[in-house]
Amino acid sequence: MVSVINTVDTSHEDMIHDAQMDYYGTRLATCSSDRSVKIFDVRNGGQILIADLRGHEGPVWQVAWAHPMYGNILASCSYDRKVIIWKEENGTWEKTHEHTGHDSSVNSVCWAPHDYGLILACGSSDGAISLLTYTGEGQWEVKKISNAHAIGCNAVSWAPAVVPGSLIDQPSGQKPNYIKKFASGGCDNLIKLWKEEEDGQWKEEQKLEAHSDWVRDVAWAPSIGLPTSTIASCSQDGRVFIWTCDDTSGNTWSPKLLHKFSDVVWHVSWSITANILAVSGGDNKVTLWKESVDGQWVCISDVNKGQGSVSASITEGQQNEQ
Amino acid sequence: AMEKMSRVTTALGGSALTGRTMHCHLDAPANAISVCRDAAQVVVAGRSIFKIYAIEDEQFVEKLNLRVGRKPSLNLSCADVVWHQMDENLLATAATNGVVVTWNLGRPSRNKQDQLFTEHKRTVNKVCFHPTEAHVLLSGSQDGFMKCFDLRRKDSVSTFSGEAPEAGRADGEVLWVCHRPPDVFPESTKKVGLEVSTPPSRPPRLGRRQACDSSPQSLQGLPPWLLSLLEPLTFSPHGPPPAGQSESVRDVQFSIRDYFTFASTFENGNVQLWDIRRPDRCERMFTAHNGPVFCCDWHPEDRGWLATGGRDKMVKVWDMTTHRAKEVHCVQTIASVARVKWRPECRHHLATCSMMVDHNIYVWDVRRPFVPAAMFEEHRDVTTGIAWRHPHDPSFLLSGSKDSTLCQHLFRDASQPVERANPEGLCYGLFGDLAFAAKESLVATESGRKPYAGDRRHPIFFKRKLDPAEPFVGLASSALSVFEIEPGSGSMSWFVDTAERYALAGRPLAELCDHNAKVARELGRNQVAQTWTMLRIIYCSPGLASATSLNHSVGKGSSCGVPLMNSFNLKDMAPGLGSETRLDRSKGDTRSDTVLLDSSATLITNEDNEETEGSDVPADYLLGDVEGEEEELYLLDPEHAHPEEPEYVLPQEAFPLRHEIVDTPPGPEHLQDKADSPHVSGSEADAASLAPVDSSFSLISIPHALYDTRLPPDFFSALVCDMLRFYAEQGDVQMAVSVLIVLGERVRKDIDEQTQEHWYASYIDLLQRFCLWNVSNQVVKLSTSRAISCLNQASTTLHVNCSHCKRPMSSRGWVCDRCHRCASMCAVCHHVVKGLFVWCQGCSHGGHLQHIMKWLEGSSHCPAGCGHLCEYS
Repeated sequence: MVSVINTVDTSHEDMIHDAQMDYYGTRLATCSSDRSVKIFDVRNGGQILIADLRGHEGPVWQVAWAHPMYGNILASCSYDRKVIIWKEENGTWEKTHEHTGHDSSVNSVCWAPHDYGLILACGSSDGAISLLTYTGEGQWEVKKISNAHAIGCNAVSWAPAVVPGSLIDQPSGQKPNYIKKFASGGCDNLIKLWKEEEDGQWKEEQKLEAHSDWVRDVAWAPSIGLPTSTIASCSQDGRVFIWTCDDTSGNTWSPKLLHKFSDVVWHVSWSITANILAVSGGDNKVTLWKESVDGQWVCISDVNKGQGSVSASITEGQQNEQ
Repeated sequence: AMEKMSRVTTALGGSALTGRTMHCHLDAPANAISVCRDAAQVVVAGRSIFKIYAIEDEQFVEKLNLRVGRKPSLNLSCADVVWHQMDENLLATAATNGVVVTWNLGRPSRNKQDQLFTEHKRTVNKVCFHPTEAHVLLSGSQDGFMKCFDLRRKDSVSTFSGEAPEAGRADGEVLWVCHRPPDVFPESTKKVGLEVSTPPSRPPRLGRRQACDSSPQSLQGLPPWLLSLLEPLTFSPHGPPPAGQSESVRDVQFSIRDYFTFASTFENGNVQLWDIRRPDRCERMFTAHNGPVFCCDWHPEDRGWLATGGRDKMVKVWDMTTHRAKEVHCVQTIASVARVKWRPECRHHLATCSMMVDHNIYVWDVRRPFVPAAMFEEHRDVTTGIAWRHPHDPSFLLSGSKDSTLCQHLFRDASQPVERANPEGLCYGLFGDLAFAAKESLVATESGRKPYAGDRRHPIFFKRKLDPAEPFVGLASSALSVFEIEPGSGSMSWFVDTAERYALAGRPLAELCDHNAKVARELGRNQVAQTWTMLRIIYCSPGLASATSLNHSVGKGSSCGVPLMNSFNLKDMAPGLGSETRLDRSKGDTRSDTVLLDSSATLITNEDNEETEGSDVPADYLLGDVEGEEEELYLLDPEHAHPEEPEYVLPQEAFPLRHEIVDTPPGPEHLQDKADSPHVSGSEADAASLAPVDSSFSLISIPHALYDTRLPPDFFSALVCDMLRFYAEQGDVQMAVSVLIVLGERVRKDIDEQTQEHWYASYIDLLQRFCLWNVSNQVVKLSTSRAISCLNQASTTLHVNCSHCKRPMSSRGWVCDRCHRCASMCAVCHHVVKGLFVWCQGCSHGGHLQHIMKWLEGSSHCPAGCGHLCEYS
């Protein structure tokens, strides 16, 4: 089912913690413990190093691409407690902003839907989540949610832009009145949903409890198609849950266990049409999951089913080949 | 957090080290700490504190306050403290006023102060006892000098200047020299870094403190090399150079293994290596850091390994045994490095703390220079002193801080960022590809780290092997691969192809449906193809078309042309009737298929036809994914398709008449083939004879029903809407939008505006991600939703220069207000260009697209004659 089309020689000197493709799927940003962020052009199976961004003073945990309507912008967060926003100007990448408002490692960054403007959510080990909003002319406004997660926040993921009512009902000439929401996962084993109030303050809207250990990743599904909200979460406890909310008020979320893995599950990632979920676990294996017609999640690419080259996993056989 | 921390007992050759993570409050901020060699006491020194604490199992207990006397002396304002590792009663402190003080705990009086050396002019940053000589003390000061003291004498034995031996300075101009030439020393000890730590070259060890209370003149047992320095030591006429000329000394450390060697670090980034017998010049000097080098520490086992830490936030490990100091490791910390201490019994570990910003203590594996192996987060202010409790115990670390606390840290209670670190990166790409980075096997390091060049089918990863015995072993690296997921499971190539090939407007509905069905089928998306076909059945009157085609077909004597659309539909739909298995289809089937297409739309050429014929279609017809909606639809037919609606009105887009059938009808062999196919033969017979339909093929009732009693399209609209929602829900918002556009008013009213907007917006966003700008624009244009169609009216700014005067054009039209000429003239035909205007961005000349293209075939120069070599991409 799955085959390698490109093995990228990143030349990172230590572990890679994140790899993100840009909006057009042509560039791949990676970040590593070696403090660097690298950008590769991966068009047509190539792997040309475009930029090697140095500026962090500790392992870089995550990177996130902003929507291209704002230019080529990449955010990175690090163990050094900093969030750096990089921008490409005239072909060269440079640091455009540095956010130093956290007291501990910043573990996750995620850009809001482009409709809201340039807004970045950052989750940190200090338990806080900060929201950076670009206000023009190189200025960023910071809002902070303190004590969002006890012990620390590991992941943030924005909800797709949803407008109450039709677009044409919005007063003309004004920005539509979006309901901004995002999800976060933390060391308190919880997933929390945050909503911006009318006064611009962020408020905890929901607390989703199902995991029995640190939540490692949350991913709000893109809303291609129906306005049903779906969130995938994975945890140190090996479980992956799919949370759905059908009612319009957005208050009733029900979890469905996708699978219980034997090891830590580090990442969940939705395909752009949100119909396939990729899951990567502590055994260095990626599995792909799809919801069947009857609403069950089935693994469409798995080692045990013997479908080709085992869903991007590491098999003993290959190890022996070495 | 303290409560849950564990107790640890370490067996150290009989005596056990026990304790837990704990802390105690001091009266004042600490500047430095040092541990007694019994590992049971620690001394804390600061500006206004100088105390000894006993380290008990559960707590620190204050044992002795060394700050005695009524008025505190500046001599007691300590910058550093060191406890002798051979003598439990001997301590030395470095005062901020430049005084070096020694303390004898064996004194009977309350005041334990012993010696006072007031030779330094400025703050003494560091004091260091010789590891094996009881009376030798070294100090390093802000004034740029290092002094070696013999504790039985009142003055320093020798002075070392941190000033760099500059190239310009002549040899004879050495500021002060040792009177006795160094060559009196045994030959074997002359070279630094050689085997000097073992007898016989090693001088006899001094007796334990026996000289302490005796007069400085008693020199019994003093090592001969020291004796040699003591007596005739004279300085050059000018005396020592004035303070301030030399670089400030930040740290001095005796080598643990090389008897005569010590290292010193400086504010200018230099590290010097000295032979204690040769104060005239250092043995070696090199620049270790960018900016001040705050600290250094000799490796307890690896002779010649020196760790240095600097303001440049780096810890470097140098191999000093080679001719030139060689950097063997470099650790990058988060803040400037104030202290560095090798961890006992762990060859590659060292602990660091910072001078500012960062209050934590880190333990690094120097082979893993980016992530700390462990981290102690107890302090609330800068950590100023760190010391491993016992030289052979790796688990107890003591620390003092500006936050006025003294802490004992247990290694097992440390937080371990490495363990928290995410070893994998995963991302779903736009094209359905997956980027996956995972930690590579650590074993690879041993075998030279030859990366495995994975081929297309075999990912390059190895199963991660964790050795529980050594959790922070060595280098970690990751492999990054991009995976391709084959069509059907997530690849998005169908999306691009479909978007580019679909026809959404500009033709009659039936043609659009047929075209799109064909596109879908060619892309192997049969469910979608069926849907288009059904839409055609539902919304187009088949009557005329069928009749016409029928005539043609019959006229040409073809039996297979007869079924036309209906038989075609039947064929495609038959699988959907509930059969879950692959339907074998004969060539004949395909044949009738293409014939129909030819007859109904002129989109297909003969070649296409051949291809379709030749290719073995069945493989495409995997029916597992047939969805409920269609089935419902079929099921509805027999129930409702009967004469309940006798007055059927033809839809507006009646199928236009076709002039002729392009293709020649199939030959007899096709008929033969067909006869072999049980599935089709019956239906074809039906269709050809227009006989009543076999009830088992419920679908076939449609053509008949349509002829006389066709259901109005409205009847299906709810189903169609459901179907669109289904597609959207499956992530195929493309289908939803395409159908919405093609059907236009027919379904629009049945789907709420907001959902439509959402579909449009989603689809447009997807199209733009795939850079399908033209399709995106078309969709925006065709959309009936006001909110969407106004997207195209969003402000677009185009900056244009006049092609004549090269000045920016004003916003008013295409006439330049400076040279009053029309800017959009074609350089080839000299007419004003209306429509597509292409121009070179280099010289701003251009013209009609066709003209320019033609021109460029013949010449690469600008057609305007400006001499520019035009480039068009």
